[in-house]
Amino acid sequence: MSRIIYWTSLALSLTFLILPLVLVLPLAFNGSSFLTYPMEGFTLRWFEVVFTQAPWVSAFLNSLMVALGAMVVAVVIGGLATTGTILSGRWGQLILSGLFVSPLIVPSVVIGVAFAYAFGRAGLGGGYVSLVLAHAILGAPLVFLSVMTSLKGLSTDLDRAATSMGASRFYRFRTVTLPLAAPGFLTGALFAFITSFDEVVVALFLASPQSTTLPIALFSGLRDRLEPTIVVVALLLSVLSLLFLFALNTLQRRSPSGAR
Amino acid sequence: MSIEIRNINKFYGAAQALFDVSLSIRKGEFVTLLGPSGSGKTTLLKIIAGFEPVSSGSITMAGGDVTALPPEKRNFGLVFQGYALFPHMSVYDNIAYPLKVRRLARCEIGERVNAMLDLVQLGRFAKRRPSELSGGQQQRVALARALVFRPDLLLLDEPMSALDKKLRVDLQEELREIHRSLGTTFINVTHDQEEAMHMSDRIAVMNHGRIEQYDTSFDLYRRPRSRFVADFIGKSNIFSGSIFRQGEVCVFRSERIEIPLMEPLAAQGDAMIMIRPEDASIETAPPSDRRIHLPARVQHSTYSGDRVFYTLTLERGGSFIVYGRASSGIHADGEPVYATFMAEDCVVLGTAE
Repeated sequence: MSRIIYWTSLALSLTFLILPLVLVLPLAFNGSSFLTYPMEGFTLRWFEVVFTQAPWVSAFLNSLMVALGAMVVAVVIGGLATTGTILSGRWGQLILSGLFVSPLIVPSVVIGVAFAYAFGRAGLGGGYVSLVLAHAILGAPLVFLSVMTSLKGLSTDLDRAATSMGASRFYRFRTVTLPLAAPGFLTGALFAFITSFDEVVVALFLASPQSTTLPIALFSGLRDRLEPTIVVVALLLSVLSLLFLFALNTLQRRSPSGAR
Repeated sequence: MSIEIRNINKFYGAAQALFDVSLSIRKGEFVTLLGPSGSGKTTLLKIIAGFEPVSSGSITMAGGDVTALPPEKRNFGLVFQGYALFPHMSVYDNIAYPLKVRRLARCEIGERVNAMLDLVQLGRFAKRRPSELSGGQQQRVALARALVFRPDLLLLDEPMSALDKKLRVDLQEELREIHRSLGTTFINVTHDQEEAMHMSDRIAVMNHGRIEQYDTSFDLYRRPRSRFVADFIGKSNIFSGSIFRQGEVCVFRSERIEIPLMEPLAAQGDAMIMIRPEDASIETAPPSDRRIHLPARVQHSTYSGDRVFYTLTLERGGSFIVYGRASSGIHADGEPVYATFMAEDCVVLGTAE
């Protein structure tokens, strides 16, 4: 009985999650310029278009730059936030954690509008800087959470051992806690990168024509020209995500024994 | 350093973990806190280390009050049950850690770490990571790390409990040796009475948050003051009854036995008396001397080569354990025998329980 339930739920969830992807992906190789079945021949023409023509290449580069920038800023902000939180007392930890995680809960539209208004007022509207900053704030909670998780997994005995040897709170944090939380930082950084890389809503509010990111290009592609190029980009993004998932998995398996 | 622990009470909310605990430890002494889990021994250790505040009471070290001193200022070495080595540092860096905290010169650090590595015989493992060492080796690294900064006191929190029996005995020996050569005051926590007896100058037996008895191994074993201590340390036969004065001497009497006591005891009334199984012997006929003898039958026996451990059923009810010599053969189960012992070997326990 349990076997039947297992296989049915597995089949259902796979169908639900994978089937739409599987259905649309072959269209990346469609010979005709329409997103329809039956396919008319096999071609790599659309890949060539994506890798050479204007909106895609620049959009990809924009996305990459924004994502990298957002990742760096998010790691710095998230790391500092974790440091401060860990070093404060029990109540402080509770309140600070809530505050630092809050960007995850606020709807992206609200954040988008807020940033558009705030950056516009500050004269930063429409540029890379605004995108990087906005995405960094979306990514920082992820860094914060993953670093916190890896810190919470540390044995309190390690900290106590360092304490008994005379190390001050800050010295212990710098020499014991932080190095052991490194896997958490890497995981958080990857999350921040991927979050920024396929973020649409906030980007729609902030991007100018020069700083169009890949998801925005996809979005307008859907509206203006329904071509297989869109599917090609989607396929490439999926492959990238898979690679990231794989990297995360390896990272988690390699974390030192003390972090468990 | 000498440590003076005075009247410590510890509450967790409404629950009391320690009841008026006092303990005085001499400079260079090896003291063990021994007790079953939940007896408060680990709580007491954490309080001494400074990780738990006291609810009331004080701790003084060489005359100075350290009760409110944070753990990093106490200069106490600490060895954990789970080793607590830093997994991202080599053995060398682990041991050098407390010296780096103290900003010692690099060459001095090198000298001291190497001396410590020699002391625990791990010189050739200096560059390894802790995860590449066995449990016993890791614990020796932890020991070296806790001693390298010449602490005033070394605290050991069940340091052997994660090791197998053979290693445990070796490490006990080594620990004793290190204690002798350094002269540092050691406080060890364990639930293993054998370990406690092998290593300690004095043992504080703890039960339900109180110190039951604080004595040398010899006195704890030969002169336990309570039934708990008699039961917890070694095997024993215990009889409940009462003590009466009969002319010049006192006599202990229960339903099963009557024993004239050597010492003229002041305390009369309800009492318990203990006899260790190795102080009794097993005979096939009543002895002709003035030994006390109780008729019994062999219930079962365990042969361990050098001796036999018998459990007897006394004719008047109750059981009695005794070691017998194995060279003269083993008494069969059900065989009628006499459990015999000298009145002098009986110990009167307190009537508290």
